Amino acid sequence: MILSWVTFIYFISFVLYLFRLITGKEFWGRAASFLAWGGLSAQAIAMIIRWRTSYSLGIGHIPLANLYESMVFFAWTIMLIYLIIEWRTKSKIIGVFVVPIAFLAMAYASIAPGIDNRIEPLIPALQSNWLTSHVITCFMGYAAFAIAFGYGLIYLLKNLDKDKTEKPAGFLEKLPALATLDTLIYQSIALGFVFLTIGIMTGSIWAHYAWGSYWSWDPKETWSLITWLIYAIILHARHVRGWRGKRMAIFALIGFACVLFTYLGVNYLPGLHSYLRT
Amino acid sequence: MWSFFSSVKLTIAALVLIVLVFIAATFLPPDDVVQTFAHQFSPGAAEIILFFHLSDLYHSPLFYLLMTLLSLNLIICSINRFPALWRQYKAPHFPEPADSFDNLPQSLIVTEAKEVSKIKLIVKSCLEKKYRSSEEVDTEIGSIFYAEKGRFSLFDVCIVHLSILVMIAGAIIGSIFGLEANINIKEGESVNIATLAKGDGIQQLNFSVRCDKFIVEFYEDGTPKTYRSDLSFIKNGQVQRRGTLLVNHPLTFDKIRFYQSSFGAAPEIKATVTYTVAGKKSGSLALAAGDTFDLPDSKARGVVLRVEENFMQMGPAIKLRIISQKKDIQFWVFQQLDNLLAMKPDLLKEMPIFNPGLFTPFVFSIDRVEQTYYTGLHLVRDPGIPLVALGGLLMIVGLIIVFFISYQQFWVRVEKEGAKIRISIAGRSNRNDQQIQKRIDSLCRQINEEMKT
Repeated sequence: MILSWVTFIYFISFVLYLFRLITGKEFWGRAASFLAWGGLSAQAIAMIIRWRTSYSLGIGHIPLANLYESMVFFAWTIMLIYLIIEWRTKSKIIGVFVVPIAFLAMAYASIAPGIDNRIEPLIPALQSNWLTSHVITCFMGYAAFAIAFGYGLIYLLKNLDKDKTEKPAGFLEKLPALATLDTLIYQSIALGFVFLTIGIMTGSIWAHYAWGSYWSWDPKETWSLITWLIYAIILHARHVRGWRGKRMAIFALIGFACVLFTYLGVNYLPGLHSYLRT
Repeated sequence: MWSFFSSVKLTIAALVLIVLVFIAATFLPPDDVVQTFAHQFSPGAAEIILFFHLSDLYHSPLFYLLMTLLSLNLIICSINRFPALWRQYKAPHFPEPADSFDNLPQSLIVTEAKEVSKIKLIVKSCLEKKYRSSEEVDTEIGSIFYAEKGRFSLFDVCIVHLSILVMIAGAIIGSIFGLEANINIKEGESVNIATLAKGDGIQQLNFSVRCDKFIVEFYEDGTPKTYRSDLSFIKNGQVQRRGTLLVNHPLTFDKIRFYQSSFGAAPEIKATVTYTVAGKKSGSLALAAGDTFDLPDSKARGVVLRVEENFMQMGPAIKLRIISQKKDIQFWVFQQLDNLLAMKPDLLKEMPIFNPGLFTPFVFSIDRVEQTYYTGLHLVRDPGIPLVALGGLLMIVGLIIVFFISYQQFWVRVEKEGAKIRISIAGRSNRNDQQIQKRIDSLCRQINEEMKT
């Protein structure tokens, strides 16, 4: 119940960020941030309530056990990382591109057919302390990549404009400088890469205890490795070949497509991570 | 040849090809499907698939070749880079890099006359407070102090690359010297031969494993809750260890780790049978079809002919044959005999074969009839794991250094300029120049404050 309100709050917050971008009035920006923080807190409370409810049902576990719960947590980490960046950089512009990702994740979790929002008991394979650290680190990584994706989009939008006219039109003028965006893309990717690495490793340790092998070439494992390799290629290209700007932005989009496939697409392939299948 | 293996182009090419192999591998259907499919359409296609191991690309020569290329590339790149890095690591800190004191923005402090030696002391203590140690050298212009931080971060990329090689080495050791096998053990039985996971081979264990009990529990909604095997490990005829095996909680015995991997219903079902002699309970047996048992004090031997979960809609039942010197009789024992008698009081007269007390003075009854299970265990011995774990640890450490630690060097020059003393601070880092400017500024502030007091 709270979660559907949170979905709505994120949507309003997105609209307000958009207002701010168009009108340039700081009032809308403050309202948007306020709502976003409110939504984040409400969502945290909702997840804690869900956690407690699961205990009162006698099947207590952290709410990170199925597709619905992971989706909700994904939205939450995106908002958390975004709001921390907003607070540190004092720039509210990328809210327009990042908050809708969180909103879409929430909306998808609640309306997509076949996603069950009931609290389900944990099957034996998931009854492990590694569940929490594995899921949290992976989703921190996914969220950082989602934010890099947001920056990548802004970069390309702004870049389109750069070639065309002398005088940037409308709101594009208000977007951050290309060089700043490039740094932000790189920093988000670096953060995501570290979290993804730790996420793959915690998963590997868990697999060692659960399946008897730290690596089983399960499609999800393979795809997480593909994602890891693609970001590794991006980082190498930047360090060794000096790739900047547009190429980084495009790769941030490709990388995020890989993240989404690793998260959602792989569920349609047969494999060991089947508890996420809808 | 050397330059081919040391090029970054090779790295990128190998990585891209590996990614493509992975993508193909996740979309290609498993072995058996591919085989049937290919055979139906053309034997040629089947041969190609077999040749390239298309159905199991992760163990194909193509993939091994790519991994070898990548490893060689990593090793040779590291060898190429290392001497330069080492020189950089060992490089003298004086003289400072040319031009470092030119065009400094605002990090200049010009003070009124104060003793030079005192100012030097302040500079030295400020540097040492922040960067632990400092060096000093006197030149003709003045004194130059040096401090640094994070010199080991020069090797960050080497550490990450080394970690990958260590992991690959661990994986190779594991695949050559490791053991992966499966065993199925029926409840109450013990097994000392395991089937290898790859191929059709078997592995003789120098101990045996007994499954004392297998339990599967379900939640109310029917999803499985627990798979649990109680195991005993028997070596030299003695139980050396007992343990409970759960999913996510493997057991280790004799350097082999045991995992709960599957379970199944054994073909037979088991009945727990009790018998009374003259109304006194005197024995209880767990029996499956085909089992034999001896009855005490009567030199009689029983054979279980059938065990049924629901015999002719009359519930669980077993058929026994009892052979003694005088008699050889067969009869049925029903678990719900009381219910049957309530419905049909004449049952035992009409059907004497349904009388569980046909072999006097014994009267048999059934406590329960249940499915017996076998537990499926996965056995692993992997000597490569310590290396893989070490590689993982190195990688995390390396990545944290790559992204969060930099080699920062600072030079502070103290020189006399007429009646004044000028202090200049310069710095450089192997990455991220914004941070170094912040650090120079903060050092500047600190020296200023120290001088006021």
